[in-house]
Amino acid sequence: MTDQEIIGQILQGDLNRYKLLVERYQSIVFRTCMGFLHNKEDADDLTQDIFIQTYQTLSAYKGEASFSTWIYRITVNASLNKLRKSSKNPFLQRLENVFGSEKGKEYNFPVSDAENPETLIIQAERNEWVEKALNSLPEKQRTAIVLSKYDDLSQREIAVIMETTEGAVEALIQRAKANLREKLSALSKKKKN
Amino acid sequence: MNCQLCQKESDAYHSGNLSEGLRMQVEMHLEHCRDCSESFQLWAIADVVMEAEKAVKSNPFLVTRIMAGIEEMEHEGATRLRIPAYQKVLKPILISASLAAAIFIGVFVGSTYLPTGTVQRIPVELSYMNDAALESVDLYSQL
Ligand SMILES: [Zn+2]
Repeated sequence: MTDQEIIGQILQGDLNRYKLLVERYQSIVFRTCMGFLHNKEDADDLTQDIFIQTYQTLSAYKGEASFSTWIYRITVNASLNKLRKSSKNPFLQRLENVFGSEKGKEYNFPVSDAENPETLIIQAERNEWVEKALNSLPEKQRTAIVLSKYDDLSQREIAVIMETTEGAVEALIQRAKANLREKLSALSKKKKN
Repeated sequence: MNCQLCQKESDAYHSGNLSEGLRMQVEMHLEHCRDCSESFQLWAIADVVMEAEKAVKSNPFLVTRIMAGIEEMEHEGATRLRIPAYQKVLKPILISASLAAAIFIGVFVGSTYLPTGTVQRIPVELSYMNDAALESVDLYSQL
């Protein structure tokens, strides 16, 4: 059954059909949220909000773009909005850090020497560097790099989602990578000193 | 190979998508160029972190949570739809009617009030009259 057929049935009142869409797209929505938020619980909550918001606005979907493009756009906008809101409230963020809200950070890093606490500290530190470096990128560069690295989308697919040209996406990704390297280099030098 | 080309192939190199010839050229450049070598190492770190985040799985009950949220929302919407006559029409009418009544009563009660200052006064001369000295009118009428 195509997305369009499912949407037609939902709009005719068959609410249960929406479950099919959620199952089909939840992993890509979650992964994209993860790329922006770097926190499992926040990404879970935002994924839930996004699917509820998508359901509420489903009648506005006219099928001009594919449903996946549409939901990617909603996800990117929701993630950027969430980041903008949280950056407006640095006090709350600091409080969260102080009270150890490192929720959902227990990823399975491919650590060779996982028992070694020193290795774990280095891993946590590197994790923080990359998060900081990604968060310092301008929104468009960040969107392009998340869609490319976390969602494995081609430059053409990213261009459709971001409503721009493939050339512009290539330039955004190149600049994002250069900025990331520069930022990571600065952070690692700061650590050495 | 120059630095620019080397950086450009960085992604393909890390994901193992370079041809044997290009891979060897990149590695030869990295052996001699400290900048590119450091940059590659940092990118490798970023790659590991991003791959780890990418592998994180969402809450297994997420679909159930989403569907429950939507069903609850729909239920609330249906309850709202069942009483539109009261919620959307009757309530505002009642509120505006009682407001109009309150204003009318206020104006009406206000207009019936007469301050003591405007009540007709008894002429001062009358207070000098001696009622006892007045002749009774009845006396003459009986004649
Ligand atoms: Zn070089």
